[in-house]
Amino acid sequence: MAGAIMSNLETGQENHGQGVRTAAIVTRDLAKTFQARRGAVEAVRSISLDVERGSIVGLLGPNGAGKTTTLRMLTTLLPIGRGSAQVAGFDVGREPHQVRTHIGYVSQLGGSDEVLTARENLHLQARLYGIAPMQAASRAQSLINQLELSTYADRAVKTYSGGQRRRLDIALGIIHQPEVLFLDEPSTGLDPQSRANLWEHIRSLGAGGMTIVVTTHYLDEADALCDDVYIIDQGKIVAHGAPAVLKQQIGGTAIVLEWDTPPQASQACELLRSAPFVREAVLNETLLRLYVDNGSEALSALLHRLEQAALAAHSLRLSQPSLDDVFLRTTGRSLREETVEVH
Amino acid sequence: MRTFEEIGLLFGRYARQVLRNPIWLFASLITPILYLALFTPLLRHLGGQTLSAGAALDLFLPGILALVAFGSGVGPGFSLIFDVKAGVVERLRVTPANRFAILIGPILVTMVMMMIFDGILLVVGALFGFHIHPAGLGLLGVLLALLEVTTAAFFSATSLRAKGDINGFAAIANGLNLPVLLLGGVLLPLSLGPVWLQDLGHADPLYYVASAARVLASGNLSSNLVWQAFLVLVPLCAVVLVWATRVLWQIIM
Ligand SMILES: Nc1ncnc2c1ncn2[C@@H]1O[C@H](COP(=O)(O)OP(=O)(O)OP(=O)(O)O)[C@@H](O)[C@H]1O
Ligand SMILES: [Mg+2]
Repeated sequence: MAGAIMSNLETGQENHGQGVRTAAIVTRDLAKTFQARRGAVEAVRSISLDVERGSIVGLLGPNGAGKTTTLRMLTTLLPIGRGSAQVAGFDVGREPHQVRTHIGYVSQLGGSDEVLTARENLHLQARLYGIAPMQAASRAQSLINQLELSTYADRAVKTYSGGQRRRLDIALGIIHQPEVLFLDEPSTGLDPQSRANLWEHIRSLGAGGMTIVVTTHYLDEADALCDDVYIIDQGKIVAHGAPAVLKQQIGGTAIVLEWDTPPQASQACELLRSAPFVREAVLNETLLRLYVDNGSEALSALLHRLEQAALAAHSLRLSQPSLDDVFLRTTGRSLREETVEVH
Repeated sequence: MRTFEEIGLLFGRYARQVLRNPIWLFASLITPILYLALFTPLLRHLGGQTLSAGAALDLFLPGILALVAFGSGVGPGFSLIFDVKAGVVERLRVTPANRFAILIGPILVTMVMMMIFDGILLVVGALFGFHIHPAGLGLLGVLLALLEVTTAAFFSATSLRAKGDINGFAAIANGLNLPVLLLGGVLLPLSLGPVWLQDLGHADPLYYVASAARVLASGNLSSNLVWQAFLVLVPLCAVVLVWATRVLWQIIM
């Protein structure tokens, strides 16, 4: 599969006369309010990020959480509303040109030219970053090889499949070997095979020293890909940490019970919330999630209590805590269910 | 230097797009030719007298040249609608490329296309008796280029402000097209109409171009209409270009 792409990246050693830069991205209380026709929309309320160089960081959140808006501010596409942001050591508001030369951005929409071929797209993109024609051609060729685009590299992009197109989008974002790469929902709409393949490519970029920010509403993506995850809801960070650490904080096992009607579920919630073996209970309509230390012990005690109260659940399952549980605990809603609702 | 290089790159990008959709080229050439073929016979019997085909073309063709210049300016606006939707505009805006280069690249492509179209129309017209006055036509070319850049920049900015909404953009483009062409006296000289219509025409930049086009095509370079047209078009073009570049710089989508 793809080798370590751009292993010659010089991140970490560069110094732009601003002292030694340690963080790739620093933001403080970043916020953006849109003036829409139907009043103001607070798309981003307060986002403070500290992204280490060479790390892969995930912004995980449901639709409308403000992920794209945050990226568009960090990539100079959108004027910053409030707060501050430095990317690759440059102030986004004051030095947009410098920021642009050091970053790559792959938008949710892609952005390749449909009537041009992959090679033409890549060549033009390299030239726009000031790379000389000869070198542009050789970089285009090596990315075509690395991202496995060679079979269709000279065909118009409009004939590509979703996965092929997404790989080209990423190639366009990295052809100038940026220090920081922003990927907005890189794997949305791809089949599991293509997603796994894309993750592999992203990982190898990270291994080459590139700092990568990925937005996603897929839990498994954040879990599988990211060293560090910011969980975002309604424009705010609700949790932050390495996926493993975040899940550990939830701890133990989650027991998910379901009843036919919401009143039954809330009655059961009242009954079980105060039980000694329950660390935390989260109710959502007919679903009740209990976080417990010892799954099997808790289970028998819990079933016993429900039986006594004539509140037997119609379904029950055990699960290890996921990032979804982290989201659930902080917001009371499930990312998973929200994603399902939207589609 | 770098900016010129970027303009060249973005010119190449748009030129390829246009050349790979030749149907559009054909469609934009067929309209003015139809105008010429169907309208000129009407003009020959205007006001009771009968004009020769050449005389009718001398009256009518310069306006059509201006029409082509104005009409081809809508092209970059339309293509920007699709580019916004496909994320191409964002991709270009994230690169360090000069914003003015991003704007002007496609506009220059349509300017070249417009020159070629107008050249073809002149050749066809000459075959049917249109009188060619090289010096006048040369100066007219400059004026038409100014008009084309102005309209293309205006429609590009309008398109960006429509944020990918093709209906919104089409409504503005179509809504402006008819009054601007009519008041500009492009098809028929406004001197045929009532005074109030002629007064209204003075608010239309196209009016100055169409009027200057007729005198320039007749070989008259010293008419007041000529410098008046440049006096209107040069500052207008500059203002529209500055505005459109600013829109591209700070557009919120
Ligand atoms: N230009 C705009 N004008 C008005 N409101 C906007 C604009 N852009 C975004 N919003 C609103 O801001 C909020 C956040 O949008 P954003 O696109 O950042 O969300 P997201 O987290 O990227 O969602 P998704 O997962 O669906 O891509 C949404 O409510 C959206 O409707
Ligand atoms: Mg988004």
